[in-house]
Amino acid sequence: MSRPILDIEKIAIAFGGLKAVQDFTLRLPTGGLYGLIGPNGAGKTTVFNLLTGVYTPQAGTIAVDGTRVEGTRPHEIAAQGLSRTFQNIRLFGLLSVVDNVMLGCHVRGRHGLAGTILHSPRHVAQERAMRRRAMELLSLFDLASAAGEQAKNLSYGDQRRVEICRALATEPKVLLLDEPAAGMNPQEKKELQALIRSLRDRFGVSILLIEHDMGVVMDICERITVLDYGETIAEGTPTEIQRNPKVIEAYLGTEAA
Amino acid sequence: MSPVSKLDEQAALVMPDRGRAALNALVTGLACIAAALLVHFVVGSMVGPFVTRIMLDAGVMIILAVSLNIVNGFTGQFSIGHAGFMAVGAYVAAGITYYSSLALFGSYQAQTGLISVGSLIFAASALVGGLAAAGAGWVVGLPSLRLRGDYLAIVTLGFGEIVRVLLQQSNPQLFSWDETRAASLKELVPPPLGGAQGFQSIPTYTSLFWVALFVAITLVFCFRLKRSSEGRAMLSIREDEIAAQAMGVNITNLKVRAFMFASFFAGVGGALYAHQLGTALRPTDAGFARSFEILIAVVLGGLGSISGAALAAVLLTVASALMIELGPWRMVLYALALILIMIFRPGGLFGVKEAWEVFGGLWRRKAVAR
Amino acid sequence: MGDLLQTLITVISVGSLYALIALGYTMVYGILKFINFAHSDVVVIGAWTSFTTAAVLLPRLGVTPTEAPWWAAAGVLMLAMVVCGLVGFCVERFAYRPLRGAPRLNVLITAIGVSLFFQNFGQLKYEVLKPDGPGKPAMSLPFGAQPQGMPRLVGSRALNDATVSRGTLAGVDGAVVRLSEGVSLEERRQYSIRVTPAGAPRAIEAMVVAPAGRYEPGQDLRVGFMPAGAAPGSAYALVRSARVPIQLVDVAIVATAGLLMVLLQLLVYRTKFGMAMRAVSFNTTTASLMGVAVNRVISLTFVLGTSLAAAAGFLYSLKYVTLQQTAHQGWVLLGLKAFVAAVVGGIGNIQGAVLGGFLIAFVEQFGARYISSDLRDVYVFGVLILVLLLRPTGILGSTVREKV
Ligand SMILES: Nc1ncnc2c1ncn2[C@@H]1O[C@H](COP(=O)(O)OP(=O)(O)OP(=O)(O)O)[C@@H](O)[C@H]1O
Ligand SMILES: [Mg+2]
Repeated sequence: MSRPILDIEKIAIAFGGLKAVQDFTLRLPTGGLYGLIGPNGAGKTTVFNLLTGVYTPQAGTIAVDGTRVEGTRPHEIAAQGLSRTFQNIRLFGLLSVVDNVMLGCHVRGRHGLAGTILHSPRHVAQERAMRRRAMELLSLFDLASAAGEQAKNLSYGDQRRVEICRALATEPKVLLLDEPAAGMNPQEKKELQALIRSLRDRFGVSILLIEHDMGVVMDICERITVLDYGETIAEGTPTEIQRNPKVIEAYLGTEAA
Repeated sequence: MSPVSKLDEQAALVMPDRGRAALNALVTGLACIAAALLVHFVVGSMVGPFVTRIMLDAGVMIILAVSLNIVNGFTGQFSIGHAGFMAVGAYVAAGITYYSSLALFGSYQAQTGLISVGSLIFAASALVGGLAAAGAGWVVGLPSLRLRGDYLAIVTLGFGEIVRVLLQQSNPQLFSWDETRAASLKELVPPPLGGAQGFQSIPTYTSLFWVALFVAITLVFCFRLKRSSEGRAMLSIREDEIAAQAMGVNITNLKVRAFMFASFFAGVGGALYAHQLGTALRPTDAGFARSFEILIAVVLGGLGSISGAALAAVLLTVASALMIELGPWRMVLYALALILIMIFRPGGLFGVKEAWEVFGGLWRRKAVAR
Repeated sequence: MGDLLQTLITVISVGSLYALIALGYTMVYGILKFINFAHSDVVVIGAWTSFTTAAVLLPRLGVTPTEAPWWAAAGVLMLAMVVCGLVGFCVERFAYRPLRGAPRLNVLITAIGVSLFFQNFGQLKYEVLKPDGPGKPAMSLPFGAQPQGMPRLVGSRALNDATVSRGTLAGVDGAVVRLSEGVSLEERRQYSIRVTPAGAPRAIEAMVVAPAGRYEPGQDLRVGFMPAGAAPGSAYALVRSARVPIQLVDVAIVATAGLLMVLLQLLVYRTKFGMAMRAVSFNTTTASLMGVAVNRVISLTFVLGTSLAAAAGFLYSLKYVTLQQTAHQGWVLLGLKAFVAAVVGGIGNIQGAVLGGFLIAFVEQFGARYISSDLRDVYVFGVLILVLLLRPTGILGSTVREKV
């Protein structure tokens, strides 16, 4: 088996006495599309925060394409090829949509003060390239017409898709999507599902997905990990997960005997 | 079969040719100089000394406000000690021109003529002053930028106050080159910059030409910064630090850079201020009162809006010059107006947008389509 | 040693002033999360209101300020607190409340605007009461641009001076007195003589400038200048100044400030209002959902903070009797230092403000005494920067981690 693109080994963090994530292990193969589910407060978002350096894991290791990233700063992790969206959308509200996506390109660019101020050919080319790429990405998501709008004025569903665009603009190897379908209507969800599937083919990106909508998860994920109270209680294919009694218990609660 | 290519591949496709880029840079530079000459000779000959004075003040204020906007408007940090950096630039530059004039020309009188040895020394001193201020910005910024919001504000305020007190401790000014050569080490360390009495008789090199030129340079710098990848990254810090980091923006590095850019131009602005006719530099120039004035211009213009900051700087300078006749009521009304503006127009004149974006929505759409 | 103790006394006295002012900064920050830059101006208003009351109103009530009984001083303090409480209420209601939820920089600028307003409005001067005989000067509002001398409501006298001899004057001759009792003046000590003219309510005082040695009854004893009123037969007391004098003013300051701080502590931790206040400071939204009248709590917090500031202004003017005009650098620095105290202690934390007040006073006074007095402001801001770098939320402040 080839080396996984994202290799998470027993990471853990506690906030005070609360063990938000314990011994979380996951190997995402190149081109994989895996899911992460669990009841509210299970620690899913915290896993993403650990991966992207928002929090530093208190134990365990994280490797992106063979490079260890735990303990490094968030922007370095992004440069390594890990990008994400946020559960509670974090767009740059006052900037235009296209600027939001162009910002995603920033990490792949080269920047020099003199070039920026004197408009050196390299700088001009880079700016143009960023704009083109951003527009291409936006068209892919049917958002090109909204490029000039301030991001905060977009609808909820559109904002979620702009966030995905922005994350893709960083040319990630692994994309972490935190509840991308939240707040979307069934029609939008259907489209999103198709889109997420196509991302991996078009961009060669591997995806880890948090989602509460079981329909979406079961449909598109190859394998699923289930968290409850910070612990991994199950791991397997969608069919295995659906049959797993522990998972059912975690979601429905123990029947009062 | 990926339809979206990587950034590098794209950039290679759209690389403009070198000659045109060089020409472009040259034209921009010449345009700045031409504009400065125009202001100096044409506008300068049409107005009297009172208006000239206001124009000089307004120009300096534009530089200060537009530069502070890089920190407070672009990166959304909270610096309220801008006058401290201005004073560093002012004192360094004034020290250079004053003592070099004594040494070279035997007097602190400014040399006449638009371009003379003296005025070139002055221009160089303004740049050195700017660099000194940028250095100070680095010293303050590096450790303190990990502080959030209000705390950073407090540190910058403290910095301004420390500069003020240290300037008060500088040695008395020396008034001739002989005196300076004969001075003992004790009279030269700390440098003889006038102490609490203030630094007087600074050669008056600041003219409409120099002010307009530096205003033009500052504006070009800020506009190009704002519309570049680096500028967007700064704006993204203001909007959401966590998202910015997650997208690969090195926020500490950019904050320090923003701080240094802003301090540099504050230092240059300080140098222009110092060499105005009839200015004696005083340690209180570094204090919070002046910092607040600059801050007010930035917020009034709209945080992040360069044209807004510039316009507000002009408005405030003109208003305060006109309101002198109101005597003691002047500042009372000024304060009331400030409060009312904050309540009824909290986004300032233009919000984050530039003047033309506010007035001409059309233009904006065209720019995006490009 | 004496020096050290003397500096410590100043630290305690000045520190309690800083603490009083810092409390106002900290309470407002705790509840609204913004720096109320206008707070220091309320201190100034408190001081000037005290002056106006003491110098203009007291004489009209038939009380000579310099001979005022303690309750008159308390009355002046109360009035200043009421006036400033009102000012605080209005500022919050009309300037800050409309901006609730606005960007922080806007609120900050508004606070600066309010501050500028007070500084400059305070310098205006319009006569509202005509002078009314000797000792009853005109009353002008607001306060004018000239410095004024605060009447000494609390006598400038040390509590621990020792009376070494009493008697009646045998003779007075300009700068020479003759005593009815013999005295010995010790080396390196300071003496003064307090003479109470017949029928006068208060003693007048003169420094003894005679060299050390034994002085027999009736022998000439040189004094500085003996004011009119002293005559042969007047009772006198010869007083040896303490090596480390404890000034009555300092005691008054520390006692009043201490009392107010204890009251505040009780209010915040023992009453329902205090609980509401802490709830709002913890989380405004939750508090309002729990039925706390948030607006009322905020108003009251402002009133509390500003009346403490008024008390500080009053006490400050007792110690430093020359009142400068309202925009004077000295006032702004006083406010800034108190503010630094609040931040160093951990802004938003009441105990922190008190701790910070004393810490800042300590650094300032000891630095000024033992290193260089010119750099006293540098020490204060230096400590500020140092503390913030080591503990970004101040000594007792708590860190909040942003949830992503
Ligand atoms: N910064 C923090 N400080 C303290 N506790 C935290 C922090 N971040 C998360 N937690 C706690 O960790 C636990 C896991 O939170 P997390 O946001 O990861 O849950 P989740 O699985 O994403 O839930 P949801 O489905 O609601 O998004 C929760 O109990 C949460 O309160
Ligand atoms: Mg979550």
